[in-house]
Amino acid sequence: MALLHIAEPGQSPLPHQVKRAIGIDLGTTNSLVATVRGGRSIVLPDESGEVMLPSVVNYTDAGAPLVGLRALALAAQHPADTLMSVKRFMGRGSKDAINDARRSHYRLAEGEEGLVRFVTSSGELSPVEVSADILRVLRQRAVATLGGEVDGAVITVPAYFDEAQRQATKDAATLAGLRVLRLMNEPTAAAVAYGLDNAEQGVIAVYDLGGGTFDISILRLHKGVFEVLATGGDTALGGDDLDASLADWVLQQCGAPTLAAGQYRQLQAAARAAKERLSDELAVDIDLTGVLPSGGSIQVTRETFEELILPLVKRTLRSCRRCLRDAQLQTGIDNIVMVGGSTRVPLVREAVADFFQCSPLIDIDPDQVVALGAAIQADMLVGNRPEGDLLLLDVIPLSLGIETMGGLVEKIVPRNTTIPVSRAQEFTTYKDGQTALALHIVQGEREMVSDCRSLAHFELRGIPPMVAGAARIRVTFQVDADGLLNVAAREEITGSQSSITVKPSFGLSDDQITSMLQASFSHAAEDKLARQLAEQRLAAWQLLEGLKAALAADGDALLSSGERAEIVAQMTALRALLEGVDADAIRTQTERLGRQSEAFAARRMDRSIRDALAGVSLDALDDKVSQ
Amino acid sequence: MSLADFQSNYFQLFDLPVDFAVNLAQLGARYRQLQKELHPDRYAGASAHEQRLAVQYSALINEAYTTLRKPLSRVLYLLELSGMTSKDIAEQHIDGGFLIMQMELREKLESMEGLIDPETVLEHLVTEISQDIMALQKQFSQAYAAGDMSLAASACVKMQYLDKLLQEAEQIESRLIDR
Repeated sequence: MALLHIAEPGQSPLPHQVKRAIGIDLGTTNSLVATVRGGRSIVLPDESGEVMLPSVVNYTDAGAPLVGLRALALAAQHPADTLMSVKRFMGRGSKDAINDARRSHYRLAEGEEGLVRFVTSSGELSPVEVSADILRVLRQRAVATLGGEVDGAVITVPAYFDEAQRQATKDAATLAGLRVLRLMNEPTAAAVAYGLDNAEQGVIAVYDLGGGTFDISILRLHKGVFEVLATGGDTALGGDDLDASLADWVLQQCGAPTLAAGQYRQLQAAARAAKERLSDELAVDIDLTGVLPSGGSIQVTRETFEELILPLVKRTLRSCRRCLRDAQLQTGIDNIVMVGGSTRVPLVREAVADFFQCSPLIDIDPDQVVALGAAIQADMLVGNRPEGDLLLLDVIPLSLGIETMGGLVEKIVPRNTTIPVSRAQEFTTYKDGQTALALHIVQGEREMVSDCRSLAHFELRGIPPMVAGAARIRVTFQVDADGLLNVAAREEITGSQSSITVKPSFGLSDDQITSMLQASFSHAAEDKLARQLAEQRLAAWQLLEGLKAALAADGDALLSSGERAEIVAQMTALRALLEGVDADAIRTQTERLGRQSEAFAARRMDRSIRDALAGVSLDALDDKVSQ
Repeated sequence: MSLADFQSNYFQLFDLPVDFAVNLAQLGARYRQLQKELHPDRYAGASAHEQRLAVQYSALINEAYTTLRKPLSRVLYLLELSGMTSKDIAEQHIDGGFLIMQMELREKLESMEGLIDPETVLEHLVTEISQDIMALQKQFSQAYAAGDMSLAASACVKMQYLDKLLQEAEQIESRLIDR
């Protein structure tokens, strides 16, 4: 299918430069893929016109797994082989997940480092692998619709996801063969979908009741800049819980019979259908034939349903109140964006409108709004949008800290700090000649390590031997724009760089990812080599193109003739290597040229700071209104 | 002007005069403008080296903005720029009257949860503390302008005490919300 691109005059790049970028909402219940075409964000349907892909994978047959509706159809027959709501298990240890697993009737295996693994007829699978199977189907859908391989993807995650859950999501996308441009918070994506279409200014609250998670975010939109002021939520509360409370009520009314796994799945599905119908009707009958041993049907009124879910809705409002306080607003909320199918429930809408004193925006389908926003961000990140029309400044949802004496937590990056962020902390040795130092990184708001989430154990080695307290080890914690943590350490007195071993408490190491990727490519080793070569060529090409443009623009002003000649010589060497097929040589030379040109890049950034400030004083006048 | 210069003086980064009084509208506008240029999203298609640089620059801009936006962190930063260490600041003499006043405030906070209408009492208390903080900001500003760094530092320490009380008040409020 031809790619139709309608460009605004003087704004967009030439049509042949348009890249294929997608946004993916990897949901607990359903997943979607969207892209921007002709300046509009649209969701991509499958061959039968369905937009939503149920996030369900069936592994009964050892061959290719079944994903979506076809898997869902087997849920009652093969409950342990049909994995649904896997997002709830992402980046979690078996101990945390055991209750959820019991409720879903999954068999869990004790994996390495306490990782969750599901036991199915096709062997043991991690939540990352299951999610990768869902993502692979969406990627294939995009390739078929867009007529070629995808250049990059933005994957959304609940804003309240912690580091391990984010890393697991990124791993799944990598495993599915996607180039991840960015992990994006779901509420931010929703705000983008609304904000850009309606050219909103002011303060926006995003109420996102997904299948398995609840998120609330408060953002300020100002001339295309989305600044997240605060975010909060509950990763263990979602639309599924509304269904479950109705299902449990039905069971109680019927004398609490014991159900087989498959029957409970059917009952949950019946409860979900009833929830959806109750948004339009005041009472509905739930047909229990084949679901309960007794069969028959039961009537449920909207009033009963509302009584059942009221405690859950109140729980979401508590998170809203805390988030509102964290945002430290001087003014009220101008708009509320509703996300997730369960926000169609009238009680939810009324409660939210009442709480924020403002009626919610509902003109974009709450099931699609996240994917639509992610596609806009993906389109911007691959370079299809005019520069400067959109920027997202997001925050870290949970505080990062380290363990100190007595099992206490010392916070290093507090929650709701804008990312990227870099914080340094100094440590010293407590024994003479000590050459190693252990650090334990945790995430959470509580004071005790045992109440927080363990993220990683770091070991700094190679500290030069000195008397106790003499070494000054500066550890830098950096959270990038995906919300992922990087740690670097350096001994300040001798300047020696300490090596760091990272043992993620949960999640996959790079080696594990590599071996899984290799396993999936093992049937075609040549493919793997070709892929590596293609990736190296792309990286080299990006660097060369960037430098060519940079030299033309600023080479004369910012480089001495010697420096310039050196860079040009290395560029020529890299271009020569690109004629060949030696991926390693291309990588080495790309690295060398990258280092060579780093000072030039830094000078350009320094200058853009000065240039950026020239002429903003006038804008400051309008800002007073919104401050 | 380079990254190192901006790192050593956040005011310079935003092209603002080194002073307690900061035009917040201007600060916000310049912050957004800088991020529009230097945020890693602007370098998504660039080389790995440039991407790393962009993360560093963007993180510095965030850090500088956060520091200058809030009065207390701005005050601490001004003292640091004038050559005082955190130890110098902590060793400032604080008059007994202030210490008694803040102990009384703390007692009021701690007895809060048994009251019939704690929300209203808490609100009054928060207003009272906030007004005291405003007065201290004014005191700091005047002392700083007059070059009396010792008086400026003691105003800063008092602000730290009261800020801590405000944080505790917030925690109590959050417990009241959960109740």
